[in-house]
Amino acid sequence: MHKLVFSFLMIVIWWLLHAMQLEEETALGTLHEGKRAVDRAAHAAAQQVDRLKLEAGTLSIDPMAAQAAARAYLAANLRLEPDLEPRAGEWLDAKPEIVDFAVINEQNVFPYTYRNAAYDYEVTLRRPGVVLIVHLACPRVFGVMDAIEWDLKGTAELVIA
Amino acid sequence: MKQLLVFILFATLFCWLMFSPVYKHVAVLRQALLQQEADYMLEIGASGRFGYIDGAMIAASRERLSQYGFQPEQLEYEVTTTNGLSGTDPAAPLERGSGLRLVIRYPYDGLMNIDRLIGVEPPLSTARLAAAGMKMSEYVP
Repeated sequence: MHKLVFSFLMIVIWWLLHAMQLEEETALGTLHEGKRAVDRAAHAAAQQVDRLKLEAGTLSIDPMAAQAAARAYLAANLRLEPDLEPRAGEWLDAKPEIVDFAVINEQNVFPYTYRNAAYDYEVTLRRPGVVLIVHLACPRVFGVMDAIEWDLKGTAELVIA
Repeated sequence: MKQLLVFILFATLFCWLMFSPVYKHVAVLRQALLQQEADYMLEIGASGRFGYIDGAMIAASRERLSQYGFQPEQLEYEVTTTNGLSGTDPAAPLERGSGLRLVIRYPYDGLMNIDRLIGVEPPLSTARLAAAGMKMSEYVP
């Protein structure tokens, strides 16, 4: 009898371990996907040159266009609706939150060091650029692990051809 | 005799429990390889030198992925852009400001068929593993 109980116990423990491992794997995949999306969003935002200022010879980023581009690329790469709401049938089930969006423009002296103590982030830019921090919650399938949430940070400089 | 029987039962049970879901890691790994390839192609294709992903790049990508055991003829590539250009024509590269989008798909290849044993339906034969991404082109003419 006790052997039967033992084998049932082992079945439960093994399956829990497998569930946990699958969940960790998918969480890591989600983390990388999120980081890529944030990087591409920052990259797209940093390409939004202000044309009026460019005519005057100043390289500068248009903050409004940059924000729109960042949101559009974040949504496209995370497969969300344009307003960042989760799409039915897709993997992410919570809206990512843009917690910091900084456009560092020509008013600053370069190299400029951006510091954000709240999110423990520091980056040095040599040209005008964009810093983006997004809070992302990872969906869980089995609920074996505690909730996983990240603050994903990305930076991009204006690309000068 | 009874002891031996119990031992054999336990050994098979534990071996099955330990190793049965291992094949799922093949799917996880294939997905990761596809994603890595999609990232690489976007990095190159959307760079200031190209602004497109053409047939030669896709052929080279099939070659790279086949080294990891993918069947090159089963890989499907889909290149789209945000401004309506094809994105695959070297003569009409995508200019800076437009997005280049790439999806690579690969069939599950019957990987999950064994799940039928425990009553879980495998994905449809039309379902595909996919890796996608969109990056803004940096190409300036």
